[in-house]
Amino acid sequence: MNGWLLTAGVVLAAGGAAALLGVATGPLRRRVVAQNLLTALACPGLLLLAQAYDRPSYVDVALVLALLGPVGTLVFARLLADELAADPPRARTLTWAAAGLGAAVVVVLCAAVGPSRAMVKLLVTGALLIVGNVIASHALSGGFPGESR
Amino acid sequence: MIVVALLLVAACATTAVLVRDPVHQALVLAVLGTVLAVLFTVLQAPDVALSQLAVGSALTPLLMLLAVRKVKRPRRHKGDER
Repeated sequence: MNGWLLTAGVVLAAGGAAALLGVATGPLRRRVVAQNLLTALACPGLLLLAQAYDRPSYVDVALVLALLGPVGTLVFARLLADELAADPPRARTLTWAAAGLGAAVVVVLCAAVGPSRAMVKLLVTGALLIVGNVIASHALSGGFPGESR
Repeated sequence: MIVVALLLVAACATTAVLVRDPVHQALVLAVLGTVLAVLFTVLQAPDVALSQLAVGSALTPLLMLLAVRKVKRPRRHKGDER
């Protein structure tokens, strides 16, 4: 149980510090990517916290974050389309690294929980997280040109 | 764990105050909303964290960006609207 808490602390502290640094400095494209990455890192952190506190209902928070985080990023991609079109962000490596971390956390947690309804919930959360993150990152780099007005 | 979350929230809030550009502030506020949700979860209040996530990570930046867009838009019909 203590190991879960330690891992969650490391993930959240490192991800939060990196995202804060990226959001506070640099050009606009870096800030947007950092905001997107925090979502992708906080969600596995919340999943680990739920396991650490032994409260399966805390997975709800991670589920909602996996749903709403990409929505927030899409808001930025839509409303900042003019600024981002001139200087499109590219963060393919970071996106896939964050998605890989999320997938690894979900797989480890599934192994710890065992086959049950909680495992299905974990899998749904992980799938939402990865799909939403990839879609948001794609939209940020100008993937859907017809969308911008 | 509580200390880590508190430190993150404090750093985020300070950054949100220090950053001057409204668009950048909206981004920092989105990060702050997510970090606050983590803090509430650590403090064993997942229901508060849920509402904080909904408001902080999506609604507040949307409102701020819409306001910035309205202000920055060039005013062509100055006499039409008061």
